[in-house]
Amino acid sequence: MDRMSLIGGLEEIVGSSNVLHSPMDMTLYGYDASLGRGMPDVVVLPGSTEEVAGVVALAHGEKVPIIARGSGTNLSGGTIPIRGGIVVHLSRMNRILEIDIPNRTVTVEPGVITLDLQGRLLKEGFTYAPDPASQKVSTIGGNVGENSGGPHCLKYGVTTNHVLGAEVVLHDGSIVCLGGKSQDNPGYDLLGLLVGSEGTLGVVTKMILRILRTPEAVKTMLAIYDSIEDAGNTVSAIIAEGIIPATLEMMDHVVMRAVEESVHAGYPLDAAAVLIIELDGLRDGMERQAGRIREICKANGVREIQVARDDKERARLWAGRKGAFGAMSRLRPSYMVCDGTVPRTRLPEVLNKVLEVGEKYDLVIGNVFHAGDGNLHPLILFDERDEKELAAANAASSEILKICAEAGGTISGEHGIGIEKLEEMSLIFSEADFDAMRRVKHALDPRDILNPGKVIPAAPS
Amino acid sequence: MRKFEDIIGRDHLWTDPEACSRYAVDGVIPRAVLFPGEVEEVSAIVRVACWENLSVVPRGGGTLMGKGGIPSRLDLVICTERLNRVIDIDPGNLTVTVQAGVRLFDLQKTLAGEENRCYVPVEDGGKESDESVCSLRENRGCFVPLDASAGNRATIGGIIAANTSGPRRLLYGLPRDIVLGVRHVVPTGEIIGMGGKTVKNVAGYDLCKLIIGSMGTLGVLCEMTLRLLPLPERSGTWLFVFPGLKEAAACVDAVFARPLVPCAMEILNRRACYDLSVKWPEQGNKGCFGVVAAFEGTEEAVDRMKTEVETLADGAGAVEKMYLDDDGHREFWSFYGSPGADSSGNRDEAVCLKLNYPLSRYREVLEWVETGGIGDHVPLASYTRAGSGVTRILVQLGNDRAEDSPAGPGWVKKLLAHVDGLGGNLVVEHAGPELKKHLPVWGAARGDLKVMEWVKKAMDPKGIFSPGRFVGHV
Repeated sequence: MDRMSLIGGLEEIVGSSNVLHSPMDMTLYGYDASLGRGMPDVVVLPGSTEEVAGVVALAHGEKVPIIARGSGTNLSGGTIPIRGGIVVHLSRMNRILEIDIPNRTVTVEPGVITLDLQGRLLKEGFTYAPDPASQKVSTIGGNVGENSGGPHCLKYGVTTNHVLGAEVVLHDGSIVCLGGKSQDNPGYDLLGLLVGSEGTLGVVTKMILRILRTPEAVKTMLAIYDSIEDAGNTVSAIIAEGIIPATLEMMDHVVMRAVEESVHAGYPLDAAAVLIIELDGLRDGMERQAGRIREICKANGVREIQVARDDKERARLWAGRKGAFGAMSRLRPSYMVCDGTVPRTRLPEVLNKVLEVGEKYDLVIGNVFHAGDGNLHPLILFDERDEKELAAANAASSEILKICAEAGGTISGEHGIGIEKLEEMSLIFSEADFDAMRRVKHALDPRDILNPGKVIPAAPS
Repeated sequence: MRKFEDIIGRDHLWTDPEACSRYAVDGVIPRAVLFPGEVEEVSAIVRVACWENLSVVPRGGGTLMGKGGIPSRLDLVICTERLNRVIDIDPGNLTVTVQAGVRLFDLQKTLAGEENRCYVPVEDGGKESDESVCSLRENRGCFVPLDASAGNRATIGGIIAANTSGPRRLLYGLPRDIVLGVRHVVPTGEIIGMGGKTVKNVAGYDLCKLIIGSMGTLGVLCEMTLRLLPLPERSGTWLFVFPGLKEAAACVDAVFARPLVPCAMEILNRRACYDLSVKWPEQGNKGCFGVVAAFEGTEEAVDRMKTEVETLADGAGAVEKMYLDDDGHREFWSFYGSPGADSSGNRDEAVCLKLNYPLSRYREVLEWVETGGIGDHVPLASYTRAGSGVTRILVQLGNDRAEDSPAGPGWVKKLLAHVDGLGGNLVVEHAGPELKKHLPVWGAARGDLKVMEWVKKAMDPKGIFSPGRFVGHV
């Protein structure tokens, strides 16, 4: 089928106003928050499950790639149309369909913005726990596709731990429901397989998510350190003490400076690192736990501890963390964020090695990350127009991932593989592992039309 | 058989029909029972089985072998008994890596802290009566937040493969929330490794999720890395008796309307109360519905929940109550749930069902179960995990012929239809092979069955793993 007939076919399904095909639109939908570029043949904005099914069935018949996407905030090239095809932008399907307090669930369409959902639930006294830093822009559909994390995952788990059901359009355009409001449905956990599969196994058109009662009390602390190693040791010591905070976030001086210049969160400019420590839950016992955390911080050479006295102060302490990536992007034209994860006891050692990598390639690397779950986010600053620097940044990123894999960790904690990390997949997986994944992919997408070329490296010929 | 002998040695290969019959699966006797001691041996065995097209059923502690359909064919039972090493305990990272045959009960003991602080009752040296065991203590020691309710024989591999959960899932979640990584022998005999020691991991497909609860239909689960949690500072359990379901439900709803975080909240019918009589307040035997609320956490939080829940229960009309402190709590929960979960003893006349449904519908489910025409002369115990939407039902069929019992296939099918209508389903967790032939073992098939069939076919094209045992006979 030529491009014009494809466009015509799609216009019949979703209406001509919901099909984009101008050269400018094709450029706009050719990239995400990573450095890669591609070019779709056409973009559709379906408004219902049936329309999505129609689009996928057409693509199936014509063997055209389908790339489902939300806001495109993903950081690994997962939504880049590398082989052309149809980009299915789900932003029009953005309704919160039902908030079901008695069953502790919310049913949403994929285009709902994460923070909008959280704001709506807060009014009912409930929360949806996963809180990726991009929540202001990212969609729930995208979060499910990437199995997104966020600071509060230390205590509450990642997206997959909060998805109870999904309506999915399969490769042939058929619609199935997985899971549901009732848990423990008999059979394989297909939902668990689907979450984080980056749109390569199906297109999600509806989701049932678990909601939790808003914790009764929250205590947020900022601990300031003169050495990043002390901050790292504090993280391990808190966990070893038997305390599991809701978050344990760390930032080094490179990031703190950038943040201070852009959002003025009140971080000291001469410190080496800060930790944001947040406790939540029942108010009883929290004061004592906070006291113990203070003692641990002191025993690990903390310079100063600030405790948020109210919501306003809490928001200020968090503003710096949430705005960190944006603040860093003010320093240089481009940044590359690594997403390696290591067992948390290896953090201090791995951080030192990351520092060495920066020195070796003469690149500024800032660290802002989820220390509590060992999820590093070294931000490599460079100028992508400078080919030498781009090559150095790529080499540095790859080396950092290798360090993480060697420390018993993994190459992606929450950003996904997409196309950017395909090469590094063999650092942690064997050919047998890939074979098992390819079998699953082939079972659910025999024609390889669903976001082809992502997540799993191509089979050796 | 010669090939298997070469792999694991004569001592670990049983072919004697008498011995094999003890490892029969739903009455089907395997031709051989194998006890590999290394993951590589499992791999080699499966390679041969795949080549020779021999069917395989993996087995852990055997506590849940009654779950699943009758195998359509059975050549080999692979026991994980000798895969019993704890490979790595890492309290700093709060992870533990074990082989499949390690028993949960033993692992909890291994993870115990100083002064024998432990998640399960410990019996050596009388230390468990030492006050320091259960009172204020240093925060050392961990536990695996799996809740198997199957006495001390359930293995970690079996719990994960069967996706077993217990009352404390309310706070700690399901195996899918606790398993971080697996090493697994797939039906071609290859060893795959997924996940690892990190809580966050989105590299590649999350095949761990597929393997958890796959009931031995996708290969042999050999090793797994699990999350640990620090031992709770304090724990306690309230037992309440209410005159009827209405009052019991009012109590449960009142607790869930508060920001409290109990680790378990169970509703028991009269018979279930009676079965727990050892630990139950006197009147429980005659009382109508029981509510059990358990707490684990910091001292202050547990103390507050104890006080607040008592007030709420009094307000809802509790007629009896009893509180169990740390040691009592541990003992109660290791004993609780055993009826119906432990295959030791004579269970052939018992049927164990698990219902799942949207959690707000528990009243409708329980009302139907109580009045659904089964009659008073058939003892039926129900254990409801309020807050999770799960009810376990244990029916003793007594001397009736199973098929003719009021609680036979006709009743089970009606129950399934009722739960299905509420958006739920039913699984037969145990039933004798004769009765099983007439029961909807995996409940009502749903629209996603075809996808399950695709996955099964891709992973096990010859269909040698646990054929006929799982949903839709995959």
